[in-house]
Amino acid sequence: MTPKPALPHNSPSIDEHLEMHRRMVVTRELERQLGALHKAGVTRGPIHRCDGQEAVGVGATGALEDRDCVTTTHRGHAVYIGKGLAPRRILAEILGRETGYNGGRAGHMLIGSPVHGMMGGNAIVGASIPAATGMALSAQVLGEDRIALATFGDGAAQTGICHESMNIAALWKLPVVFLLEHNEYGLTAHASTQSSVADLYIRAAGHGMPGEQIDGNDVVAVFQAVARAAARARRGDGPSLIEARTYRMEGFSTSDVGGYQSDEDLARWRARDPITLSRAVLVEALGEDRVMDVERAAAETVAAAAEAAQADPPPHFVPHAPSDPRAFATEGR
Amino acid sequence: MTTPTGTEDGRMATVITVGAAAGAYMDTVVVLEWRVAPGDAVRAGQVVAVVETAKAATEVEAPRDGVLSAILAEVGAEIAIASPLGLIGDDADATLATAIQPAEGATPTAPATPDGTARRADAPRSTSGEAWTDRIIASPAARRHAETVGLDLQAVVGTGPGGRIKVRDVTAALRGRDEVLSELAPDPLPEFVPAAVTEAAHPLAVTRSGPDTGTPILLLHGFAGDVTAWHAIERRLARTHPVVRLDLPCHGRSPRQRFRSFRDFIRPVLDTVDALKAGPMHVVGHSLGGAVALTLAERRPNLVRSLALLSPVGLGTEIDNHVLEGLCRAARPESLTPWLRRLVVDPACISDAYARAAMVAREDPDLRASQRALAASLFPDGTQSINVTPLLRRVTMPIRLVWGRADELVPWRHALAAPGRVALHLLPAVGHLPHLEVPDTVTQIIRDMIVCAGSGNRMADRGGVP
Amino acid sequence: MAIMRYAEALNAALREAMTADPSVFLFGEDVADYGGVFKVSRGLREAFGDRVRDTPISEQTLAAMAVSASMTGLRPVLEIMYADFMPLTLDALVNQASVYGYVWGDEITLPFVIRTQGGGGLGTGAQHAKSLDSFVAHIPGLKVVAPVTPADAKGLLLAAIQDPHPVIVLEHKRLYNTRAEVPDDQGPVPLGRARVARDGSDVSLIATSRMVVEAEAAADRLAESGISAEVLDLRTLRPLDVEAIVRSVAKTRHAVVINEDWGFCGYAAELSATIMEHAFDDLDAPVERVATRDMPIPFAESLETAVIPDADVITAAALRALA
Repeated sequence: MTPKPALPHNSPSIDEHLEMHRRMVVTRELERQLGALHKAGVTRGPIHRCDGQEAVGVGATGALEDRDCVTTTHRGHAVYIGKGLAPRRILAEILGRETGYNGGRAGHMLIGSPVHGMMGGNAIVGASIPAATGMALSAQVLGEDRIALATFGDGAAQTGICHESMNIAALWKLPVVFLLEHNEYGLTAHASTQSSVADLYIRAAGHGMPGEQIDGNDVVAVFQAVARAAARARRGDGPSLIEARTYRMEGFSTSDVGGYQSDEDLARWRARDPITLSRAVLVEALGEDRVMDVERAAAETVAAAAEAAQADPPPHFVPHAPSDPRAFATEGR
Repeated sequence: MTTPTGTEDGRMATVITVGAAAGAYMDTVVVLEWRVAPGDAVRAGQVVAVVETAKAATEVEAPRDGVLSAILAEVGAEIAIASPLGLIGDDADATLATAIQPAEGATPTAPATPDGTARRADAPRSTSGEAWTDRIIASPAARRHAETVGLDLQAVVGTGPGGRIKVRDVTAALRGRDEVLSELAPDPLPEFVPAAVTEAAHPLAVTRSGPDTGTPILLLHGFAGDVTAWHAIERRLARTHPVVRLDLPCHGRSPRQRFRSFRDFIRPVLDTVDALKAGPMHVVGHSLGGAVALTLAERRPNLVRSLALLSPVGLGTEIDNHVLEGLCRAARPESLTPWLRRLVVDPACISDAYARAAMVAREDPDLRASQRALAASLFPDGTQSINVTPLLRRVTMPIRLVWGRADELVPWRHALAAPGRVALHLLPAVGHLPHLEVPDTVTQIIRDMIVCAGSGNRMADRGGVP
Repeated sequence: MAIMRYAEALNAALREAMTADPSVFLFGEDVADYGGVFKVSRGLREAFGDRVRDTPISEQTLAAMAVSASMTGLRPVLEIMYADFMPLTLDALVNQASVYGYVWGDEITLPFVIRTQGGGGLGTGAQHAKSLDSFVAHIPGLKVVAPVTPADAKGLLLAAIQDPHPVIVLEHKRLYNTRAEVPDDQGPVPLGRARVARDGSDVSLIATSRMVVEAEAAADRLAESGISAEVLDLRTLRPLDVEAIVRSVAKTRHAVVINEDWGFCGYAAELSATIMEHAFDDLDAPVERVATRDMPIPFAESLETAVIPDADVITAAALRALA
């Protein structure tokens, strides 16, 4: 990514947009590779793909500094890529290899890389919200110039800890951004069966913080909204709630047999695919060749990463000393 | 697990207790038999168990219709009258939760044991019916200790809950073994000085009766007794067999002597038997005489054809200190009689005349003093320091244990230390003096034993043993 | 050497730790302006300002914030007013602290502390009298301490705050007003080290938290019968000082394990299993387990005392072990 100007800016440059586009393509290719590997029986456990939602994770992280902390959900691949993690090591972790970011201990839902400020996927729905809030608390108390951003879904927005976190963050003016990635489904349940209101951003008013709803499939719109909220957090004015509307194109996970999403909805959202929308803007500005070169290179990167990761060795088991319940066995650790 | 005792909801189950059937002055009963098993349907009034009370076997009836859901006192368990024997519920499973509670809520009420700790009076927790066969129940520490010192746990009497062998029992057994098994080392015995009353060539007083020919029967009396202790059976036995009676050291007309240990004590007995040159004998020993008889059998296997041990000491640790002290202290018939009567179930067995006669035999203060010293050495602090249990495994002649179930001086449960081949006669409503209380029965047991021991097969078998 | 109340000793530890390390941060309900409902944080708001904060009643989120704040450089000390509220924090402990402490390996540390207090005997009723020790001691990656003496209260809390791993400090509401000497230079007490509260030879009373006080009373009673009871104060529930337990049981051969949590699947069960695993051959009797009766804690005094163990119950258990 090209260096950012020193002052906060609310719109990405065209180069920044192209880089975000590349990251969305990398994410999409990653999901496709995982789909294929799953079909081939190479993966373990469920995998939650974010096809169609790439603009949220990539756009949001594009507006942050490297030192800022991000927490995400069980469907966080776009955030991992957006935060600058390498596809090869992401894939290795997802495939349970020694070379994965977490040595095969985490799997695809819990990937973290603290040096990148990537503070975890989280498979407990809603847990990313107080997690980012606590990271914002440490920044505030320690006087460090960093903010935290939580991505979470419309399902997580119904948890108690969501409301508790927003109240505390607003009360203490914590430097945190609440990015609600509204993909319309909690597992198989549509948002209309989960919430008393269709628009969730209006809840911000109840906590005395700004709230806005944006097009979650427009990577530039996501960037702009998060950049505004991040600037507010950095100023010490407290949290914001951004509701990014998008749609989950694949099922809940690789174990989902589907059947509950209507063909009409899928067709309507497919026409608004975030990569398609982004490409149209970039082709107009930079020409088709340059954009296609970037996309081709992105696909090749992921294909090579998948091949390399599959060849990587599985990890060896090592006992975890801090988990040992007995004092005598862990002498001198 | 322990939780504080509080009110327990017992609606689901009905407790079976002994109740009034026990008799007003009984504190505990022993479970003799269960006539139904857990899961069996029972009807109100049906006999479900038999317990031993003062009135001997007493039947216990089901308090209501239902299913026997738990047995809380196994066969052999000694339990307080009020303690639950078992539970009757609507079905076997529904009541298990409550079934466990009464036993756990019980507080230790038993008398203090020798080491000052309290013993549970209620049902043993882990003892099943097997405990009365050959399964050894011992604590891990006791097992390890016994293994380290090379002691066979079969030879140890457990004094823990349910008869569990604890370290203290192994320690006690070792003390006994060390004193009994002295053949490895030369005896540093104090010089033994025969007393004037001794018959010629015998260190101890010997009394003979009966015919001149036949296999003799040797009778060895108990602590504080003498040859006269056998009066009730001696004549019956003497009709058919020569009968030889010894006065043990410090008893009757035998010399008074201070002994450092049981090993010292046994030496004049061995010498006397050797001097008799009587050939093989049937030996009957009572109480202390029982331990002497068993030791004699182990030391002189060729001289002992069969062995009857009446309420012997040396198979367990407890002994009623108060009775021993009372017997030693008594200097008048009035003080001796109550202690003698403590030894029996029916006080009429100890007539005033008998007590007076016994006191005459104990008039010598030196005799009483030497017996007190002997008691202090053999039974310190109410504990039997003798352990002859290992010898039961070593000897090969027929052995019969005869024990009164109401023996208050030496508990009949010590008999459980014996290996399986040893016959056990448990006499209901008999105390510590079976030969005095039920002489006919004891005579019959001895005669039966003599008949068995005399069979050709048995002799042939013995011939094969080096 | 000063005589201190248990609550004062905890306060001294917090004050020392906050003075020494500006990343130590204290938060919880009523801890700042009021100084804590048990007065443990009295005066700290005045001394340390915004590093001591009152919070909304949001235990679930506060615990999760303690976890994530500790990942990013803060040393949070969170007070959960009653152990009965700890179940609200369990997701943060079980699914967050425990998990990320492992899956992210050495890339993070989790130096947070949760202080709470449990225990019954003061008529606080079923929702304010429990000791849920096993809930937290069950969780891999956590450490759990339960100080009994004022000196240990200070020393263990200091050690907890310095530790790079999560530490749950289980205090006891009936200990806050107990007084004892605390050395002026009382420093951190090493975690994972039990304390022999009383030397003995016949039976080991292995206890936690205020049950140590009851065990000592039981030992007095047993001494009247000539029985010498050793009282072991575990101090750290996790990681467990197995060596101290084995040493004591090997000496006495009889063990009574005592914990104020419920018995079934409780912390005492773990102690019992530990003795089976490491000292079976030393046992001369089955381990006796003493714990709170498995039911909600009732209110009335006559009912509450029937449910929570005391010196009488421990004495009876010791006598059973020695039978």
